[in-house]
Amino acid sequence: MNSIIITIIQGLLVLGIAPFAMGLVRKFKALMQGRKGAYPTLPYFTYATMMKKEMVISKSTSWVFRVVPFVVLGTTVFLALVLPLVGMGGVLAPYADFIVVSAVLAIGAVFLVLGGLDSASAFGGMGSAREMTISSLVEPVMIVTLTAFALVAGTTNIDGMLGMHPVLTLSFLSLILVCLAENARYPVDNPATHLELTMVHEAMVLEYSGPYLAMLEYASALKLTVLSLLAANMLFPSMMLSTSVWVYQGMVVPTILLSGLIAVVMTVVKVVVMMFLLALLESSIAKMRFYRMQEYLSIAFFIALAGLVIVLINLV
Amino acid sequence: MITHEALSALLGSDVHVQGNELRASVKKERFTALMTELVQAQGLSLSLVFGTDDRKSTKTFGVHAVLALPETHEWLTISAELPEADPRYESLTKTVMAAHWYERFMMDQFGIVAEGHPDNRRLVHHENVPEATFPLRKDFAWDTKMDHAEMPYPMHHVEGEGIYEIPVGPIHAGIIEPGHFRFNVAGERIITLEGKLFFTHKGVEKLLEDKTPEEALPLIERVSGDASASHALAYCQAVETLAEASIPERAQYLRALYTELERMTMHIHDLANMGGMGTGYTLLAAQGFRIKERLMRLSDRVLGNRFWRGGIVLGGIKKDLTEEQLNDVLKTAKEAYEEMTEIVEFALHSSGLRERLETTGVLTKDVAIAYGGLGLPARASGVDYDVRRDHPYAIYNELPLEIPLKRHGDVLSRFKMRIMELHVTMDLIKAIMKQIPSGSVHSHMKITDGSALGAVESWRGQILTYVAIENGKITRCFPRDPSFCNWALFGEIGPGNIVPDFPLCNKSLNLSYSGTDL
Repeated sequence: MNSIIITIIQGLLVLGIAPFAMGLVRKFKALMQGRKGAYPTLPYFTYATMMKKEMVISKSTSWVFRVVPFVVLGTTVFLALVLPLVGMGGVLAPYADFIVVSAVLAIGAVFLVLGGLDSASAFGGMGSAREMTISSLVEPVMIVTLTAFALVAGTTNIDGMLGMHPVLTLSFLSLILVCLAENARYPVDNPATHLELTMVHEAMVLEYSGPYLAMLEYASALKLTVLSLLAANMLFPSMMLSTSVWVYQGMVVPTILLSGLIAVVMTVVKVVVMMFLLALLESSIAKMRFYRMQEYLSIAFFIALAGLVIVLINLV
Repeated sequence: MITHEALSALLGSDVHVQGNELRASVKKERFTALMTELVQAQGLSLSLVFGTDDRKSTKTFGVHAVLALPETHEWLTISAELPEADPRYESLTKTVMAAHWYERFMMDQFGIVAEGHPDNRRLVHHENVPEATFPLRKDFAWDTKMDHAEMPYPMHHVEGEGIYEIPVGPIHAGIIEPGHFRFNVAGERIITLEGKLFFTHKGVEKLLEDKTPEEALPLIERVSGDASASHALAYCQAVETLAEASIPERAQYLRALYTELERMTMHIHDLANMGGMGTGYTLLAAQGFRIKERLMRLSDRVLGNRFWRGGIVLGGIKKDLTEEQLNDVLKTAKEAYEEMTEIVEFALHSSGLRERLETTGVLTKDVAIAYGGLGLPARASGVDYDVRRDHPYAIYNELPLEIPLKRHGDVLSRFKMRIMELHVTMDLIKAIMKQIPSGSVHSHMKITDGSALGAVESWRGQILTYVAIENGKITRCFPRDPSFCNWALFGEIGPGNIVPDFPLCNKSLNLSYSGTDL
């Protein structure tokens, strides 16, 4: 029973807070650059407005183009429900095997790429080619990093992997690097650019409009929230919702309400802190040259590999 | 350096001197050979080529080429007459690359054919303009309604495995002027890059005809909004040269002040736009645009508009500045300059930013010279030419003017060049404030017939304006923006770079679409 409640609370909270997280990172960036910025709640209104707008779909597209927003949003919602973000031990947690999670991330990426290609526009193709280059470099890093976590935790399920161990320092670093690339943030991609020639993620969704665009934008806000919460939980797994009960002076107290409240507050705090750190990073560096991307991801890969080696040595 | 004697020997006896301009007419058969000799052997640089329709008086079309003589601060104009029935001459582009767009321009606008031009496609006219439409001929009415045609306008095309084409524009994702770019790329690497511009044709040259010089000035000021003051000054100088007007000294100082303030505004904009928007180093963009805004508001306080427009008029300056206003100008300019230099210095410590700028979009000196590249991009590649020093106007020969120079020609050089020029501009503004005399700022002048050139070093580069007046009305006026010469540089800067770096190259030149396409 409790495990169902955990999943429901997590689902509602993460799905609800995602636009706010996106708005927050923009607001923080604006403040750091000396601008005022819009309210962090603006994305809610943006997505609502887009839902009401007319869709213009190129005649040269096929059914793939129309399926993409659903697949991309679907995979992201899956991650939001399955991963340990607000609480551990949710009813869907058994599905959070890291191989499954990486594969689901890959499905989302592949469909986004197909959507970019399907419109047959030059920019869609360009963005898709770049996304594939990045994806193919991101995936091994992701697998190697999570393998290190799995070895320490003794399980391949991410739900059981939370919690830092000193030997995982390097792996955690590579996890951050890979999350930045996966979310199309600095230094890999610039989510705020209007320069069509430099876009990666934005180029693939350039042909979308109206509700489909709202779905894709919401999916990328959701993915950002999910991955930053996951990274935060790797460091601070405490004060999350769980199925365990508190025993107080010999009495078993059903604490789901109280611990639920704490977990919700902690989640909001984590989102705020993570978005602040992301904004700080994005305000203090320039975007990397596209041809430096393989260097960035190679470094991420070797950090992940070094992390794995350290873990293995410690296990022996 | 070429002496007057050497020139006379080359040109024969018919060199006619008017002010700082030497003129010679040659037979059309000799035109190309003579120009080739002057450019290739004597090392003069081609500054302008333009056509005229003189069929009414002499039953000919005129082709005129202007060369700069920086040592003597003079201009040399070589003209040739082409018969009305068969306006052809041997193409100059075959030997003098810098003439390539001018000659295509004349083919489109006058029907003057440069025989053997290596690239005889259309330039100004797009597919929809019918054949044999020559808008700048006198018998073409400005309000002619043209039929819709489907003429070919082929673009360069590369074939091979893994090579594909990216068409970009003319409508862009950002709010910029329209221009179409065609990339042929292998992966991300650019193989060829070609622009198709001229989407903003307004017919300015045609509209200027039959206007009085006073009526024409507002049009000239709006040719390119970011260089209003410089365009107005170049035009006014041409008309004033004809009238042999003497401009009060205070007005000369204020003219220099306005153009320097325009330079400061745009250099700050460009530093923010290149470093900030081009690379995603957002701090520089946000702060730079804020500082630029201070200068635009200063323009609003001083001139009543945000674009340094309306200050410079024929005969001097429209309205004198009070002591209070001058202090405001100095204070605001100083603050903007100090803030910007501080932020740029801070930004240059970012290795990520420098990494994006270094070695990107290299313009070699040879290319800059061959294409007749002008202004800041040329100086960043080692071409030592600046109108303020080489053809002094306004009051520049009494001001502490230093011309910075860089060699590497990459985006970082152009970025640093702007910082260096910002220092010079600040020194100039301070000197102007110190030296400015009191007195009147406007003198009455009588419009005189004839033709003359006016040159100004705008922030972007040399503006050269040709004006011909007959019976007090303009018969031909060509305000040549430096963008016209610099656009073709992209074909050389782009290849070898990767596609995502092109916006950065583009911003580092910051050319005007509107100023190119009058």
